[in-house]
Amino acid sequence: MTIRTGLTRRGLLAAGGATAVAGMLGAPMIARAAGQPLKIGMVTSLSGPFAGLGEAMRAGIAMALAEYGNELAGRPVELIVEDDQAKPDEGVRKFRKLIGQDNVDIVSGVISSAVALAVRDVVTEAKALTFISAGSANDLARGAASPLVFRPTKTNWMLGHTAGLWAAEKISKTGCITIGADYAAGREYIGDFVQTYTGQGGQVNQQLWAPLGTTDFGPLLTTLASARPEFIYSFFAGSDAVRFLKQMKDYRLHDKIRVLGGGALFDQEDVVATVKDAALGGQNTCNQSPTAPASLDFSKAYKAARGTLPGEMGTAGYVTAQVIKAAVERVGGDVAAKDKLKEALLAQPVDTVFGPMTFDPRNNQAILDIYVNEIVEGEGGPVNQVIHTYKAVQDPGPSA
Amino acid sequence: MSFYLVQILNALSFSMLLMLTGLGLSVVLSLLNFVNLTHGSSFLLGAYVAIWWLGSGAPWWLAFPAAFLAAALVGLALERFPFRQFYTRTHLMQVLLTYGLSVIFADLMRWGFGAQIASPELPEILSGVVFILDMPFPIYRLFIIGFGAVLALALWFVIDRTIWGAVVRACVTDRRFVETLGLDTKRIFTVVVAVAAGLGGLSGALGAGILSAYPGLDEEQLILALIVVVVGGLGTFRGTVLSALLLGFALTFTKVWIPEMSNVAALAIMALMLVIAPQGLVARKVRQV
Amino acid sequence: MTETVKAFDAAAARSTQVNRRIACVAGLLVLAALVPFAASDYQLRFAAEILIVGTAVLSLDLLVGFGGLVSLGHATLFGGAAYAAAVAARAWGADLTLMVGIGIVTGMAMAFVTGIVVMRTIALFFLILTLIVGQIFWEIVFHWRSVTGGADGLRGLPALELHLGFTTLDLSSSRALYITAAVLAFAAWAVARSFVNAPAGRALIGTRERQLRMSALGYDIARIRMMALLASGAIAGAAGALYPFVNQYIGPNSMHWTFSAMMVVMLVIGGVGSLYGAFIGAAICLGIQTYISSYTDRWQLVVGLIFVLTVLIMPRGIVHGVGSLMRGKGKP
Repeated sequence: MTIRTGLTRRGLLAAGGATAVAGMLGAPMIARAAGQPLKIGMVTSLSGPFAGLGEAMRAGIAMALAEYGNELAGRPVELIVEDDQAKPDEGVRKFRKLIGQDNVDIVSGVISSAVALAVRDVVTEAKALTFISAGSANDLARGAASPLVFRPTKTNWMLGHTAGLWAAEKISKTGCITIGADYAAGREYIGDFVQTYTGQGGQVNQQLWAPLGTTDFGPLLTTLASARPEFIYSFFAGSDAVRFLKQMKDYRLHDKIRVLGGGALFDQEDVVATVKDAALGGQNTCNQSPTAPASLDFSKAYKAARGTLPGEMGTAGYVTAQVIKAAVERVGGDVAAKDKLKEALLAQPVDTVFGPMTFDPRNNQAILDIYVNEIVEGEGGPVNQVIHTYKAVQDPGPSA
Repeated sequence: MSFYLVQILNALSFSMLLMLTGLGLSVVLSLLNFVNLTHGSSFLLGAYVAIWWLGSGAPWWLAFPAAFLAAALVGLALERFPFRQFYTRTHLMQVLLTYGLSVIFADLMRWGFGAQIASPELPEILSGVVFILDMPFPIYRLFIIGFGAVLALALWFVIDRTIWGAVVRACVTDRRFVETLGLDTKRIFTVVVAVAAGLGGLSGALGAGILSAYPGLDEEQLILALIVVVVGGLGTFRGTVLSALLLGFALTFTKVWIPEMSNVAALAIMALMLVIAPQGLVARKVRQV
Repeated sequence: MTETVKAFDAAAARSTQVNRRIACVAGLLVLAALVPFAASDYQLRFAAEILIVGTAVLSLDLLVGFGGLVSLGHATLFGGAAYAAAVAARAWGADLTLMVGIGIVTGMAMAFVTGIVVMRTIALFFLILTLIVGQIFWEIVFHWRSVTGGADGLRGLPALELHLGFTTLDLSSSRALYITAAVLAFAAWAVARSFVNAPAGRALIGTRERQLRMSALGYDIARIRMMALLASGAIAGAAGALYPFVNQYIGPNSMHWTFSAMMVVMLVIGGVGSLYGAFIGAAICLGIQTYISSYTDRWQLVVGLIFVLTVLIMPRGIVHGVGSLMRGKGKP
């Protein structure tokens, strides 16, 4: 339905010329036959603090679509990528543009949780098929879940919770300090970690928070050095993560204090490839690993294409395409039948490079294997090596 | 005890970075009454050049002069066009011009150096730690403190004690008068802008070892430098030094005591300074009327 | 900028120029009235956003164009009012009158606080102090998670309505929002215009031009500036109150200094001291940002080039630049 009404309205405003009128009259006649292009919109961050991540995500989805010969269920695919600058207001504007002006069939993408939350009401109101590739705020699987918003990615809880289990079981139940970036995502990771960890009998000695975008971690690291914890649980992302790990090494704390982190702290492409041996020995829980069995082929192809092993965002872009492919093919390309598509997607798991992915019918949230990675010296430098897998981790969802 | 000693060193090293970045901005502001927002770009350019140089295998210590030169050359070109036409324009126009230029540079650098975060490979002798009692402190930060102190002293010496400094100071006081002495003030200005940009590049090269380099660093550093320079009192050498120390210590010790509120607290301290001294910590004497 | 407005005043004195300006404004009005009939849902909402942001830029013009006070904290007033409206809407429902009332009060209150702090500073000191004060407000909003939602912002707002006593109008559609924004923009323009023509506004220009002379004449400069700030805060606040309803979302970016800087850029591109230039600047900047980024990753380069070229070729903004081109005088 969207396609036709969209065409009509667009035709009307285009110029008011004869072509437009013809288009308008012709519109109802166009059958949604196979062969009509399938438009996929992706909003990601191509400028601002997440620019590197956004480029990786775009590369990931483009790689996948190229592998499919730019065709899904017999329909040629047109990918339109927009930049949200990691700003919610901008993200919303771009989603509105994709839906209202470009008339895409499917919207996807989003790195920042804030953008994901901000667009939630817009896509819900427009009844747009939405695949959130990476924005991982817990609330999106809970209060803000929406019938046509699919989340082929983790929630922050899934990583914080498994880290809590891992720490209590394998690291230590005492001598823990948490240190995190003081914003929504950091608070969620650390909060969920602490809840599970203390629930398992672990004790947290101290919680430190660094402002988002902290340039100098020196004062905090000196505090850490004098507190001498057994291990730290930490969440930073992007440039914060790079600086935190580099400065840990500057202060020679990297081989004294064990670091357990959220996946982003040791993201293969974004962080580990930059800080190199400053990351060695670190552990993290993540829904992605370049060395996970499901990812091996993709990792090789990605490295050949971009010169580095994939991190979470490159993989997320690829997985988004895999999930869209599964959904579109299960309904024979008829994406206008949204409820049917949803039913088909939820009916059985999708094999992705994250691992097997089942969608939770309560909130369309992916149920995923969560890997515990350790950074070890690999062939081409330090690499995230899977040392344990928590099978089929499911967010508590609306009940939490 | 050693804990606070190390924290003081932390504060000093960060202050030195702020001061070095601020000085370039401050010199141009005091001399030409020109607000140069491309200073952040010079910083980032210096950082990228140094990272590239340190990764190239050439002698490491040349990375700093290389960063200085690269940024100074860009500064030189910019001074010819379009800065020169804007010395007599309002601050608002200067701000807009240089802001626009900094946006262009940011994008060009992202084009050239990529959007990924880059980090330098520090040479062996700079990458160790010293132990103060039992607390580790990176040698590289000591290097920054030392380098910064020497550079600031040298700058102060040149401006305050040499004939070139006298000429530059005379330009600030009365440009026309210097011209009647047969000196080419245009050339003096060109040199000053280039050197200031070079200083920005040099601080970027030094800072990269702590901060890394990535798109957006230019803006972050620019704002800190602007705060330092303005709170210090526009373009006074002592003021910039004082205010860099104040901001560095404020940011460090608020992170020690109240890490969550450290930005608010440090900003509030700087705001308080401007409320108490609306002309900056060290005010230049300006004739009114 | 000083010369800009001097020239502007001189121009305004000549009646032909006045006629031209009235024609310009009338033209814009007709254009604005035609938009709802021609634009799609998406474009209408985008146009509404331009009008709302433009209104905030117009309020900045009061400070910059007439008081010579370049603020880098203007987004604080706008965003602060937006947050207040969003929080109130979640508690009591989104009645337009209530929203705009709360926006105006919040905008003025924040302008008052800012004013007290920055009162004694001028020029670059004013610029930096407004930046610092604005960032302190931003930090507070960013950290006050229980009320503001922190970094994630606030969503799930009720639909905007107007209670008229006998009936309730639903203003959530793009068209209704556009019309609301257009009415607000016109009202704000009228208020700002009468402010600058009133004795207070004339005195404000005086403080910009000849501060010492004004105080010698017995004017209380601090008081005049405070009045300008309050008027500016009220208009920015009214605009801010509508802002959450453009996207049914409000986040901390709306208060960040980068948004303040964007407003200054919009103002200069549109034309300082012209009031209606604010809307043109907002349209150009938001339009470029939204449309060019679809075509190239290098869109920031394009934006930067446009800033620089504007400053180099049309230093008095598009409004004056195009005006002088039409008069065939070339650049001033």
